[in-house]
Amino acid sequence: MKTGMIILAGGIGKRMNKPIPKQFLILAGKPIIVHVLEKVEQLTDVERVVITCPAEFVAETQKLLEHRNLAGRFSCIEGGETRQESVYKGMLELGACETIVIHEAVRPFVTLAEFRVLIDSDFENAIYGTRIPFTVLAGHEYVEDTLERSRLVNVQLPQKFNAEKLMQAHESARADGIEFTEDASMLFHYQEARIRILEGSERNIKITEPTDLIIGEAIYNEYVLGGAQD
Amino acid sequence: MKTCIITGASQGIGRAAAVRLSQEPDIQNFVLLARSASGLEGTVSQMNREGKNIKALPTDLSDIDAIEPLVKSIYDEFGSIDLLLNVAGYAEPAALLDTTNENIRTTYFINVFAPIVITRECVKYMRNHPSKILNVASTAGVTPRPGWLAYASSKSAVVSMGETLTSELAEYGIKVYTISPGRCATELRRKLAPEEDPSTIMQPEHVADIIATLVSDAETCLDGQNLVVRQLPAPKR
Repeated sequence: MKTGMIILAGGIGKRMNKPIPKQFLILAGKPIIVHVLEKVEQLTDVERVVITCPAEFVAETQKLLEHRNLAGRFSCIEGGETRQESVYKGMLELGACETIVIHEAVRPFVTLAEFRVLIDSDFENAIYGTRIPFTVLAGHEYVEDTLERSRLVNVQLPQKFNAEKLMQAHESARADGIEFTEDASMLFHYQEARIRILEGSERNIKITEPTDLIIGEAIYNEYVLGGAQD
Repeated sequence: MKTCIITGASQGIGRAAAVRLSQEPDIQNFVLLARSASGLEGTVSQMNREGKNIKALPTDLSDIDAIEPLVKSIYDEFGSIDLLLNVAGYAEPAALLDTTNENIRTTYFINVFAPIVITRECVKYMRNHPSKILNVASTAGVTPRPGWLAYASSKSAVVSMGETLTSELAEYGIKVYTISPGRCATELRRKLAPEEDPSTIMQPEHVADIIATLVSDAETCLDGQNLVVRQLPAPKR
């Protein structure tokens, strides 16, 4: 298989204060994850798509797939206890492939064009990132250090990696007992891999906080539906 | 080339729409649904059949569980579903106190539940290519009609359905139209107003012309509205 994809849908929605994971909350009339699935559906050159989600939501996710005639190329498995573990389980489920694309269910405004640019690019490893428009400092209760904003990047998904090298990095991290918050950091840490940063989009937000749902409705109306309806 | 499904195609507006749309060169495949096999045959006999694939399927749409395999079989046979016209309607006028549960059940199954289910199933195949859905409501759905409670309220539901679907399906490029015909010389109207002379009111062919305009590629501005289609009475001189 040339290209496989993992869609991370493992969050449990603590910050949303909702009884269901945020990827199943309704945004613009449908579960957030469906916005992603309907775009990935059009990536016909991605041969398999594995969704990792909490065990109790596997059946519900399968239903979402069936209702859209997506079962088959798409499948859903129980994710791991951590994001990193979910990616690892997703890779095992995908099996051998040259390239792995990773996206997360709570970034519903990724565009088909962004997926295409990522997949079609010649870079073996590539991520999306945006500049950081605000000041970031190191510290907890007190400021401990300053960070040079111009050297930082706001990391977004989707991301694309050489599957074999990513698996090696995961195996190393598992052996070392280290948890990474996303895969580019891990691949760079273990392999000093050359990872291209593609220009991301401000609208490709991650729905994390309750406010993000309100912002998300506005983004949907403006960018998906094309603006004012009156 | 487009595939068009028309419910209620055995008579009235459904039949007139099938006949009118069969004149359109870009619609090649027609699937006509209604309970009456003989009514469907009558419709087919009036259609332009040259270069058209016309499939008449006697169907009881109130059996909503049968709709999913039906739509799948249509898609499997024709390879696309581009136009859906929900025309089938049922009316059994009665005062509230005389309205039976069976009346309510049948009215809502035909007028509301079946259109929702067939729309849901068709959208599975319409997503990601420009397509259109047209629902036939009624002026009874937006104005009080004593003695027509089941029918009038079901048509209100059709109006609401059109508004919601317009927003929900916009992302897919599916346009949704709702028309509310006023007095129209159909069999259904005869049940609602048996004393009326049908020659004095709007004919199904008038409505079919409007439908043909709405489902044409050229029409891009009238979706999402409840369009009242009516012919004002001739002035009395």
